[in-house]
Amino acid sequence: MGRKKKKQSKPWCWYCNREFDDEKILIQHQKAKHFKCHICHKKLYTGPGLSIHCMQVHKEAIDKVPNSMPTRSNIEIEIYGMEGIPPEDLKEHEKQKQGKHGRPGSPSSGEDEPLPKKKSEGLMGPQPGMPQNMVNPGFPSISPMMGPMGPIPPFMPPGMGMMGSGAPVPSAIPAPHLQNKPLFPSAAAIASTTNQTNNNDTKTTTTAAIGPVKPTFPAYSSSSGSQSANSSAASSEPSKVNLISAVGGSSKIIHPPEDISLEEYLAKLPKYQGSLPATPPAEDTPSSSSPPPTTTAPATVTSQQPPEERRVPVSRMPVGVSGGMLPPVSSVAIMAGACPPLIRAAPPTIPLIPASMPLLRHPQMQLHPGISYQGLIGGVVPPQVAYGGGPPMFPAGPPAVLTPMMPPRFR
Amino acid sequence: MFTGGGLNTSSSFGATVTPSSANPMKDFEVSSPPDDSISSLSFSPSTLPQNFLIAGSWDNNVRCWEVEQTGKTIPKSMQTMQGPVLDICWSDDGTKVFMAACDKMVKCWDLASNQTIQVAAHDAPVKTCHWIKATNYTCLMTGSWDKTLKFWDTRSPQPIRQLPLPERCYCADVDYPMAVVGTAARGLIIYQLEGGPQEFKRVESPLKYQHRCVAIFRDKKNQPTGFALGSVEGRVAIQYVNPQNPKNNFTFKCHRTNGTGGYQDIYAVNDIAFHPTHGTLATVGSDGTFSFWDKDARTKLKPSEVMEQPITRCAFSHNGQIFAYAVSYDWSKGHEFYNPAKKNYIFLRPCYEELKPRQST
Repeated sequence: MGRKKKKQSKPWCWYCNREFDDEKILIQHQKAKHFKCHICHKKLYTGPGLSIHCMQVHKEAIDKVPNSMPTRSNIEIEIYGMEGIPPEDLKEHEKQKQGKHGRPGSPSSGEDEPLPKKKSEGLMGPQPGMPQNMVNPGFPSISPMMGPMGPIPPFMPPGMGMMGSGAPVPSAIPAPHLQNKPLFPSAAAIASTTNQTNNNDTKTTTTAAIGPVKPTFPAYSSSSGSQSANSSAASSEPSKVNLISAVGGSSKIIHPPEDISLEEYLAKLPKYQGSLPATPPAEDTPSSSSPPPTTTAPATVTSQQPPEERRVPVSRMPVGVSGGMLPPVSSVAIMAGACPPLIRAAPPTIPLIPASMPLLRHPQMQLHPGISYQGLIGGVVPPQVAYGGGPPMFPAGPPAVLTPMMPPRFR
Repeated sequence: MFTGGGLNTSSSFGATVTPSSANPMKDFEVSSPPDDSISSLSFSPSTLPQNFLIAGSWDNNVRCWEVEQTGKTIPKSMQTMQGPVLDICWSDDGTKVFMAACDKMVKCWDLASNQTIQVAAHDAPVKTCHWIKATNYTCLMTGSWDKTLKFWDTRSPQPIRQLPLPERCYCADVDYPMAVVGTAARGLIIYQLEGGPQEFKRVESPLKYQHRCVAIFRDKKNQPTGFALGSVEGRVAIQYVNPQNPKNNFTFKCHRTNGTGGYQDIYAVNDIAFHPTHGTLATVGSDGTFSFWDKDARTKLKPSEVMEQPITRCAFSHNGQIFAYAVSYDWSKGHEFYNPAKKNYIFLRPCYEELKPRQST
C-alpha cells in the first residue's frame, strides 16, 4: 500500500520525444542525434555547447538543435538527459503518458514517433520532421485501423491487410508506381487520399485534394472512352503531390496540386497558350475528366471532393498537330557558319538587339568596384582578352587563333 | 545604406536600381535580363575563348551575353521561338545553340551567321535538348512530353533514332557515354550512347515524388558514373549506376523552410549542376536559395540567402569559375503569387573557392 501507484516513467528525450529504458542510453542518443556537430561530427554535451562549438570552431551559427521537433528546437536551453527539461513540458509529457498508457508511442499529438532515421539523411541533419514518414502521410490518422500499429515503420512488408478496406488493389496502378519496395506508394497514395479528403476542411492547403482521383483512375475509368488523350496525364497526375502530415506539425510541398511538372502547369496557362501556333482548345478536358470522380467515389472516400479542384484542365498538351513542317535542312546551311569567312561576315551586334535590350556598355558598369573581377575568372585570363568595344559576335572562328591568349581549358 | 566593396554599382547607370533585397548575395547582375521567367541557362563550352551565357525564357526568346572577366555582361544577340523556350544547349564546338520550345520544335541557332533553322520536331512541347558528341557520331537528343526520346543528326528531317519513354520527359542529362532521363510518374531510364544511343536500364526511382531535374556526375577517373536526381519534394538522390556498395546511394533533403506554427514548407529542387572540376554540386530551389554540396563528404558547403523569387535554373561556366543562377517565378505557388512587376534576374557568382570539396581533417 505504501507503494506508489504511478510507475516512474521512462526517461525520454525532450528534443524528439523518444523514450528510452535507461538514461545513459538517452544521453548517448542525445549526443549522437542532437548534439553532434554536422561539420566535424564531434559530439558535444548540450545544445548551447554545440552552438558555441560551431561558432568558435567553424564560424557557423546554428539556430536549431539537429533532428529535433520544430517546437523543441531551441538551442539555448541546456538539457542533458532528463536534466533541464522545462517543468511544464515534463508535466505535459507525464499527462500524455497517463492519458494513453496503453500506447506509450503515440500521444494524441502524434508527435513523438521516433523516426527511424536512415543513413541517407546524412547530408543535412537539422531538418526536423519528416524523413521516411512522408511515404505514408495518410496512415496516422486512419486511426481505427491503425491504432495498435503505432508509427508505421517505413519498411512495412507489402501485403499487410490494413490497406485493404475498400481501397482499390494497387496492382491496377501502372508499373512505375509499384517499383518502390519499402512500402508501396500506390497504397500509401490511397491511404493518404482518403485521409486527405477527410481532413480537407481542417487542413487548408493547396495540395489538399487532387488525391482522390489517382489510385482509382486507371482501375475504374479505363472503360470510359474519352480518356485516351489525357489518361496519361490524369493517371500519373495524382501520385505525388500530397499533403504531408509529419510528426509534430504539418508540412507542405509548395507546388500546384496536380502532379504535373511546373512547366506543364505553366504551358497550359492562357498566357502561354496564346503564343503557341495551332493549339487546339482543350475542350475535351471537362468531359473526360469528370467521370473519374464519380466512378471512384464509392471506392474510396472521395465523395467530398470539391469540384473546383479540377478547375485546371488536365490535359492540354495538344498532340499531333504540327509535325511535318520541318523543312529539309540543308547541311550546307548549317555547316556554313562554321567556316571562318562567314564568321567575319557576321552582322554586328547592335541591330540584333531589340529596343528592349539596350546595349549597356558604360564603363562604370563594372559591378563591384572594389573587387576586380579577377576574382571571378581567377586571374588566369590576361585582361586584354576583354572585348570592350563592340566586337562582332564571334570574332574568330577557329579557336586555334585565340589559344595563345586564352588556353581553352585551365583547370 | 550601402557600404563600399560589396556595393552593386549596376545601380549607377540609370533608373534600374537593384534593391539589395533582390540581390542578397551581392553577386554580379546580368544586364538586360529576360522579360519573363527563365527556363534554361547555359555557358559556352571550353572551345570558345570567351565566356558566353545563353538563357531561354518563357517570353519565347533565347538571349546571349558575353561575360567578361570584369563581371560585365554584354547583351549580344537574341532569337525568338514560336513558343516558350524550355531548354537550350550548346554544340560541343560552341558555334551553335539548340533551343527546345513549347512550339514542339528544336531550332539550331548558328551564332556566326545569326540564322536559325529547325532541326527537330515532336508531337508535344520539347522539354529537353542535349548535344551528344560521341567518338563516331554527333547528334542532338530531344525529350518531349509526347513520351518519346529522339536523336537527330540535324541535317535530316527524320530522327536517326526514336526511343519510347514510359511517360512524359521531365528532365534529362547527357555526359557521353551516358544519358539519363527522368519522366513523369517517377520513371528513370539510363542510356548507353556508345556506338549509338540505346536504353541501358530502367531504374527504380530512389525518390517518392515527381522528378524535376537530373545531373550526371563523374568519378575520380573523370568517367560518368552516376547522377543526382531532384524532386519537387525538396530532396536530391545521389545514385550510382553500378554502385560498389548500395550504401553509396543516398538521398538528402534540401530547399525546405520551417514556417510558423511548426509547418515546414517543402520546395521543389529546380536544378542541379555539378562543378566541372571539383565534382561538388549546386542545387537551386523554389524556395529562392541555392546551396553548394559535397556529395562525397555528404555535407553542405554553403547555403545562400533567400532571393525574392524562386531560382529556376543554374549553370557553371566550363572552367568552374562562375556560377550563374536565374531568379524568376516558377509558378510553384500558383497564380496568386505571380507578380509581373517583379523583375527577373540572372546573377553571376565567383564560385571556384566556395565549391572546393571539404578537406578531411
